[in-house]
Amino acid sequence: MEERERVLKNQKKTEQEEHEQEKDIEPKQQELWSWGAGTEGQLGTGNLKDELTPQLLINLSNSLSSFAPISVLSCGGAHVIALTSGGKVLSWGRGSSGQLGHDQIMPNCSFPKLVASLSSFNISHVSAGWNHSGFVSDSGCLFTCGDGSFGQLGHGDFKSYSSPIEVSFFNSKHVEQVACGMRHSLVLSKGNSGDKVMYGFGSGKRGQLGISEDKIKLVSVPVVCSGFENAEVVDILANGDQSAALSADGRLYTWGRGFSSSSSNVCIPQSIPSAFSFEQAALGWNHALVLTSEGEVFMLGGSHHGVLSEPQKMTRHNNSSDEPSLSKVCGLVGKKVVHIAAGAEHSAIVTENGQVYTWGWGEHGQLGLDSTSDHTAPQLVLPEDRSLISRVYCGSGFTFALKTHT
Amino acid sequence: MSYDDVEIEDMEWNDELQSYTYPCPCGDLFQITKDDLRLGEEIARCPSCSLYITVVYNLEDFAANKTNSNFQPPKQQPISVA
Repeated sequence: MEERERVLKNQKKTEQEEHEQEKDIEPKQQELWSWGAGTEGQLGTGNLKDELTPQLLINLSNSLSSFAPISVLSCGGAHVIALTSGGKVLSWGRGSSGQLGHDQIMPNCSFPKLVASLSSFNISHVSAGWNHSGFVSDSGCLFTCGDGSFGQLGHGDFKSYSSPIEVSFFNSKHVEQVACGMRHSLVLSKGNSGDKVMYGFGSGKRGQLGISEDKIKLVSVPVVCSGFENAEVVDILANGDQSAALSADGRLYTWGRGFSSSSSNVCIPQSIPSAFSFEQAALGWNHALVLTSEGEVFMLGGSHHGVLSEPQKMTRHNNSSDEPSLSKVCGLVGKKVVHIAAGAEHSAIVTENGQVYTWGWGEHGQLGLDSTSDHTAPQLVLPEDRSLISRVYCGSGFTFALKTHT
Repeated sequence: MSYDDVEIEDMEWNDELQSYTYPCPCGDLFQITKDDLRLGEEIARCPSCSLYITVVYNLEDFAANKTNSNFQPPKQQPISVA
């Protein structure tokens, strides 16, 4: 154990030395908080244990200050990918399938470590799935690594890779975004005439690839998604066996396992009927959140959201309709919400005052409320803070809050 | 109450755990052994939390001494080190 710690320390030191040169980018003051399931090191605390209350990652911030500030996080099944404003990538958490992209396989990594093989690229978008990862460079290249058993890496095989490999299918295309789910991936690319094209690959058993009305078991090379002929997609999401896209005119499209009570698969992207225009969306395994332009939050599905430990409280929708129900999230009256996130079975939001609220499943402390209880309504976890801009990110059973000085 | 019903063909065989596994929303894995399946057990539990799933399978596929079952769940792939 001591030997291992020493090795890890040395690795860390080398990385810090390597990145002294990045210090010319003015470091902004940041706070990074994490809580919830932590047995794979995904909280970045240096420990392999759950945390029931928000932990301020001081050591993490210090080691990160040499990498320039974090611009965005993506949290997966049990790993985290951080993108710095300098286009560098760090990862930590579970690494048993190669999803950290650190070249060698480690069961887990409890501190942020540079994805060295991407250092020569300026990375602009990242996504952490259940056990795989996707990285997009500003030059439009897509790299994937981790579990490839279902073809979700897009390399035309079913192998797993421990370092990010460029997906050759997109060699002549310009990739803008990637979204990694449990066993599938979505990619948004820009064509020569500026038109957006979406692709899916990996497991398609629940319709989550959106590529065909026929039953598709799995595909290992990207296939174009259907149903977006008249929509300009600006954001793509994947989690569990769910997929979603947000269009420029504020409509939400969903496909995959679906949110209706009949739980029938949706194989072709469907627009959710609503009078509202949506600015953000977040996907869980059985629920989705949307944020309207007025700062209101609605939930799609989620009949057992916040009652997983007490299934007798589960709301049964007796209507036989296949239409998924969109319901306003209660308990946020008078609050303008600016950012939303969804874990597998929990949710987190940030208000314009910088308050962070959580609700849903809480067994691993992922709500950060110093308990393992579930909650059906949003609970305050981090207080008002007007001096920092807050963002929230949820992994399967854990949560991060990133606060950046304005 | 069972979190989900999962077909055995959607579970993955994990050599290390000697179990069929399926992702749990807590980040760990629901697990069930071949012995459990042979005994007709249909609940796969997560070692880290209170959730469990119902495994949908044909008991005959796991009957003792039967070596060639007619389904092939995906196995964990070896990881290529570049």
